[in-house]
Amino acid sequence: MSLEEQQPDDDPAELEAAVSRGDELAELLGDLVIGREEHMNAPGLVVRPDEVQEALFKLRDEAGFDHLSCLTAQEYEDRYESIYHLTSFDDRTDEVSVVVPTSKDNPVSQSAEPVYRTADWHEREAYDLVGIQYEGHPDLRRILLPETWQGHPLGLDYDQERPQIATLREHANPLEKDQRAEQGNTMYVNIGPHHPATHGVLHVETVVDGEQVVDLNPDIGYLHRCEEQMCQQGTYRHQIMPYPDRWDYISAGLLNEWAYARAAEDLADIDVPEYAQIIRTLGAELCRIASHMIALGTFALDVYGDFTAIFMYAMRDREIVQNILEDLTGQRMMFNYFRLGGVVWDLPEPREEFFEKIRDFLDGLPEALEEYHDMITSNEILQARTVGTGVLPPEVAKSYGATGPVARGSGIDYDLRRDDSYGYYDELDWDVVVEDGCDNFSRLLVRMREVEESAKIIQQCVDLLEDWPEDERNIQSNVPRTLKPDEDTEIYRAVEGAKGELGIYIRADGTDKPARFKIRSPCFSNLQTLPEMSEGEYIPDMIASLGSLDIVLGEVDR
Amino acid sequence: MYLQTTTLSETISGLLGLDGVIGDVVGGLVGAFLVANIMLIMTAFAGPWAKRKITAAFGDRIAVNRIGPFGLLTIVTDAVRLLSKELIVPEGVDRPAWDIAPMVIPFSALLGFAVIPMGNGIQLADPETGLAFAFAVASIASLGIVMTGYASNNKFSLIGALRAVAANIAYEIPLVITAASVVIFTGSLRMSEIVAVQAEPLVSVAGITIPTWFAFVNPFAFALFMVANLAEIGRNPFDIPEAPTEIVAGYQTEYSSAYFVLIYLGEFIHIFLGGALAATLFLGGPAGPFLPGFVWFVIKIWAFFLFTQWARSAVPRLRVDQFLDIGWKGMLVLSFANLVLTAIIVGVIA
Repeated sequence: MSLEEQQPDDDPAELEAAVSRGDELAELLGDLVIGREEHMNAPGLVVRPDEVQEALFKLRDEAGFDHLSCLTAQEYEDRYESIYHLTSFDDRTDEVSVVVPTSKDNPVSQSAEPVYRTADWHEREAYDLVGIQYEGHPDLRRILLPETWQGHPLGLDYDQERPQIATLREHANPLEKDQRAEQGNTMYVNIGPHHPATHGVLHVETVVDGEQVVDLNPDIGYLHRCEEQMCQQGTYRHQIMPYPDRWDYISAGLLNEWAYARAAEDLADIDVPEYAQIIRTLGAELCRIASHMIALGTFALDVYGDFTAIFMYAMRDREIVQNILEDLTGQRMMFNYFRLGGVVWDLPEPREEFFEKIRDFLDGLPEALEEYHDMITSNEILQARTVGTGVLPPEVAKSYGATGPVARGSGIDYDLRRDDSYGYYDELDWDVVVEDGCDNFSRLLVRMREVEESAKIIQQCVDLLEDWPEDERNIQSNVPRTLKPDEDTEIYRAVEGAKGELGIYIRADGTDKPARFKIRSPCFSNLQTLPEMSEGEYIPDMIASLGSLDIVLGEVDR
Repeated sequence: MYLQTTTLSETISGLLGLDGVIGDVVGGLVGAFLVANIMLIMTAFAGPWAKRKITAAFGDRIAVNRIGPFGLLTIVTDAVRLLSKELIVPEGVDRPAWDIAPMVIPFSALLGFAVIPMGNGIQLADPETGLAFAFAVASIASLGIVMTGYASNNKFSLIGALRAVAANIAYEIPLVITAASVVIFTGSLRMSEIVAVQAEPLVSVAGITIPTWFAFVNPFAFALFMVANLAEIGRNPFDIPEAPTEIVAGYQTEYSSAYFVLIYLGEFIHIFLGGALAATLFLGGPAGPFLPGFVWFVIKIWAFFLFTQWARSAVPRLRVDQFLDIGWKGMLVLSFANLVLTAIIVGVIA
C-alpha cells in the first residue's frame, strides 16, 4: 500500500499530474498528513484518526473539495482503514482520497459528519459492516443490519457460520415507540415498510403534528442482500458482472454494469473497442429512458392517487424501450450484457430491423413527451402540489452528496457523463439538463428533459452504428481469462447511473477476486436528503418528495 | 309532465289490493326492497366491472375479459372472492362501533334514494322536504366514517376519518347552498316538483324544444354543484380521505372481507346518489326524449359515475390544506354569491 511498492498501470502523464496535485494538497494540509498513498484515481493522503475533521475542513474550504462522494471502510491484517473519496462538484476529475487508518484494538476515528452531512449514513454503514467507531458521530447506530446483529460482516474475523439469534422481544420494540413524552402533542406514524408509496421496503419513522411532519427518519436495510460481500467472492472476469443488474433493478441494469466495467477495466488496464463503447452508450441511454419513465409514472402515482392514466402511459412507452433492450441483450431486467473489455455480443440481426425499431421509438417520443407535458407539467393542480414543495437548496444538496437528477433539479450542474467522461459521450452532441427550482417540480422536469437528451444520444449512436464498416465491428478486446490485478492497487471510479453517481471502489490483493468491493449508491445518498426536504411540510408533500427522489431500495440497501 | 301523483309504495299497495296501515307497510317495504335492489345491482356492475373497464380505457389497458362476455362474470367471481375472505378483526378495535360503521355507510346513501324520482312512477316517497331529507341522510355517512376511523385503532384510519370530516364540513355547505339556488326557482323542496318545473320549455330552436333544466338555466350553479359533489363523494382531485399513496387507505385501512365490501358498496352508492341528486336538481330528473324515463335516469347517473372515474384517472389530488382552502375560501364564497344572485334575478323577473 505504500508508494514505493505500487506500480499502477496508468497513463504516466496523468499519474504525474495526480502526484503533483497530491503534493500540492499535502502541502496545504502540512503536518496533518502523516503518509502518502497512491490510488489509481487520485492521490491518497494519510491522516491521523483524531485529525480527520481538521483535514477535511481544510480540503473542503481551501481546496474546493465540496463533494464527499463515498466513504470506504475496510479491515487489513494489521489495521482498519476509512477512505474518504473527495471530489468537487465543479471539477469531477479533481479527486483526492483521505485515508484514515485506525488500530485494531481501538478502531475509533473522528467523524466527518460536521464537514459533510452525507458522512452521517456512510459512517453508520462503515460501523455496521466493518466495525469502525466514529467519534463525534451524532447517531452511530447500525443502518443496514438489524439493531440486534452480532458482529460486523465485512470484518476479517467475522464468522459467517454463526447463527444470528435475536429474540422477538428485541425486535418488537422499534414499531411501538411512544413519542408523547419527548415530542409533546404529536403522533408517531410508521410509514412503511408496507405502504403504497414507499417504492419498496422503506420504513419512514415519522412524527406528525396533525398532518405536518415534525420529525422523520428513513429506516433502511430491509432489502440488504450483501451485494458487496458477494462481489468480493466473485472473480473479476466473469462472476461479478451479473450482480450490478440487481442494484438498481428498475431497468437501469446496463448503467450499473458500466459502473463495474469502468472500475475494473481501469484497474486491470483493459481497453474497450470504440464500436463496443458506442453500443454501451446506446444501451445505457435506453436504460436511462426506461428508468426515468418509471420515475415519472410512479411520481404521478404518488401525487395523483391510484389508477392514473399517466402511470400507464409511462409504462406503455417504457415497454417499447424494454423490447428494444430485450432484442439487444436477450433479457428484460437482468441484462448481464457488458463484459470487461466490451459487450457480450453484437447488435441483433437483422440490424436494419433493430435500427428501424429504435428509430420508430425515437420518432414517437416527442409526441409521447408532449402528452406527458399536457397531462403532468402543465396541469395546474400538479403545479400547486409540486412547485415550492420538497425544497432542497443547492448547498444542502451538495453537503448530502446528492447527485443525478436530484442535484440537477437543485441547480447543480453536475453530470459524470460530461464532467468525467467515459464511453462515447464526449464525442456526441448533447446537453446536461439543469433546473434551478430546487423543488419537486424541477426534479420532475429534469427527468423529462433528460429523456429528450438521451434520445439525442441514442439517435447519434444509431447513426454511427449504422455506418460502421462491417470488418471493424470489434465488440470485445482481448482480455485474459483470469484477471489478477497487482496487489494493493486501489481504484474508485463512478459513472452517471439513472439516479446519480454510481461509484465502485475496488482494492486488489493479487488474486482473481477483489479484496474489497465497495458500492457507492446514488440512492443511498439522495435518500438522506428526505428529512431536510420534508420536515415542516405535510404528509402528502413528504410522499411527493420521496417520489421525486426516485429511489430504488435495491440500490439503497444493496 | 312527470309530476307524480302516486308514489311507488302506493302503487304497490294498490296492486296488492291492500289499504290502511297494512297497505302502507307492505307497499313501503316491497317498494324499498325494489329500489334498494336496483341500486345494489347497479353498484354490482359499477364496482367490480365498470370501474375496471373505465379506468382501463383511460390507461390504454383491457382489464377484465376472461370470464363471461366482456368479463361480466367477474362480478360473480369477485363477489365469491370478497365474501369468502377472512374477516380480520385487529387487536384493540372498539367494538361494536367498528362493526356498526360498515353498515351505516351504505345504508345512509341508500336512504337518500327513497325520495329520488326515477321516472316511470318509481319514487318511494315524495315528502315536502324531499331535498333536505336526501342531503340529511347522505350526511349520516360521515358519522359512519368517523366511527371507522376512531374504532379501527389505526393511525392512518384516524387521519383519514379526520380528513373526511374536514372535507364534509367544507364541502357540504357549498353543496347545500348551491342546491338552495335551485329551490329559489322551484319554490319547493319536493323532488317531484323540482323535476316538474324543469319539464317546461325554455326556448325552442328550429323545432327542438330545450327544457328548463337548471343546468341550462344556471350552468354556473351546475358546475359548482358538480365540484362540491366530487368532494362529497371523495373522488379526485378530492380523494383526500382515502388518499391511497399517503395514508394507505384512510378510514377503511383495517377493514377486510364483508365489511370491506359494505364500505365499498357505500362509496359506490354514494356516487350514484350524487349522480341522482345532480340529475334531479339540474338535469331534469328522469326526463329525456324517446326512451322511458327510468332509462334516462340510469343513463344520467351512469354519466355522472363516468365523470367521477374520468376525474380519478386524469386529475391529480390536492393536498389537504389546499383542499380546505378551496372549500372555505373558494367554493363557499362562490356558492353564496350564486345564491344571492339567483335570488335577485328570480326576484326581479318574477
